[in-house]
Amino acid sequence: MVDVSQHELVPEHTVLEEDVLEEVLSEYDIDRTDLPKIKRNDSALPDEAAVGDVVKIVRNSRTTDQAVVYRLVVE
Amino acid sequence: MTEVAYDVDDDTVAVVEDTDLPRRLKDQVYATLEERGDATVDDADELAKAVEARYLDTRVDPLDPVGTVSAQSIGEPGTQLTMNTFHYAGVAEIDVTQGLPRLIELVDARKTPDTPMMTIYLEDEYATEREKAHEVVWKIEATKILALGDVSTNVADMRVQISLNEDTLQERMITPEEVAEIIQDNLGVKAIQQGTQIEFGPEEPSYRDLLQLVEELREITFKGIEDISRVVIRREELDDGSEEFILYTEGSAFGDALEIEGVDASRSTCNNIHEIHRNLGIEAAREAIIEETNNTLAEQGLDDVNVRHLMLVADMMTNRGEIESIGRHGISGSKDSVLARAAFEVTVNHLLNAAIHGEVDELDGVTENVIVGKPIKLGTGDVDLRMGSTTSGSGRAD
Repeated sequence: MVDVSQHELVPEHTVLEEDVLEEVLSEYDIDRTDLPKIKRNDSALPDEAAVGDVVKIVRNSRTTDQAVVYRLVVE
Repeated sequence: MTEVAYDVDDDTVAVVEDTDLPRRLKDQVYATLEERGDATVDDADELAKAVEARYLDTRVDPLDPVGTVSAQSIGEPGTQLTMNTFHYAGVAEIDVTQGLPRLIELVDARKTPDTPMMTIYLEDEYATEREKAHEVVWKIEATKILALGDVSTNVADMRVQISLNEDTLQERMITPEEVAEIIQDNLGVKAIQQGTQIEFGPEEPSYRDLLQLVEELREITFKGIEDISRVVIRREELDDGSEEFILYTEGSAFGDALEIEGVDASRSTCNNIHEIHRNLGIEAAREAIIEETNNTLAEQGLDDVNVRHLMLVADMMTNRGEIESIGRHGISGSKDSVLARAAFEVTVNHLLNAAIHGEVDELDGVTENVIVGKPIKLGTGDVDLRMGSTTSGSGRAD
């Protein structure tokens, strides 16, 4: 099986700890369902991610150094 | 202390690093300072501050209608794109859809592009030795019977005779036994193989069945991936002066290709955003949409469209974790508001369905409020201003 995370198009995905998530949500004043979504069967998703988790994605941005985005894991 | 790759003194670095600029801009500031050579720390400070002020100034204001700006910024140059579909794209004589048709194909998120193709990078020795690169080619390119030898039909005996070409077999690394076996498996007839000769025929002598068999024989893929009709090898120079072989394919099967030995699964790509989504996930698909739209515009000399607009489009298309098209069947069709959907396309259907189901419109969005004649929640429309009631002294106008 190919290791998807090694591909240059795939940024780093990590599952976010619950307390860090709270901080993020309160900083932006949003609910977790307001976040963009990622499917649970997404190839780039870490194995330990479950539905309802939030993954942190660190993109190598075209316009700034690094862009951090969050996606909610959905069914 | 931050290490920088430019010849500037520590105080200058401290001054520049102190600003709120992204790395890219800081580097440009260093480059400029280095070029000047005689710039003092005060000069550096002044420059950095000026750049920072300009940077903060040009950022998007809160409540700016970025979507509308993007739509116009992509739409205007879009009028200059070629409507002519077929043209050879710069690389490797492979036909690739360009211009407006390609852009439409991307934002419509078509299941398969008009001209699917892959760019396959190779690993280690496969990338440097032509023989090795060819090995990969034969594993990818679909090999049909006509490439392996001559087919003739003997009508008198009701037999199909294949005379295989030994050199071709060797080159493509397939034996006559394998060929015979594949024929048996696919056609369900007994194939007699002797050396490079293979012979078979219908069970009952029938002219129609015989022709049918030949038809089917031509369709069998003996080696490689069925969807890939052609592979072109190109030797390309890298930035560091060395050369490597890169494969361009007509037709794509991204998932299968990544599994093949010798294929560099960290760089190879294809132009089908759905295949990328399936194999590499939604983030890679987003990246691919930006890259493809950007390249399509750049090929037509419209590379001055700011990439941020394309990023916004890609963000919207991948927001729900799967690729959605822009338009009635995608984003615009899945809006919450009835009025916003009705304003886009097929007005009557939306209104009728909404009436039947008793839908409620919360009037949160822009379109709905324009329809009912209320101020929209964008720009100054979302800000409440209150006049100050306590002023002291002379009546100033503010």
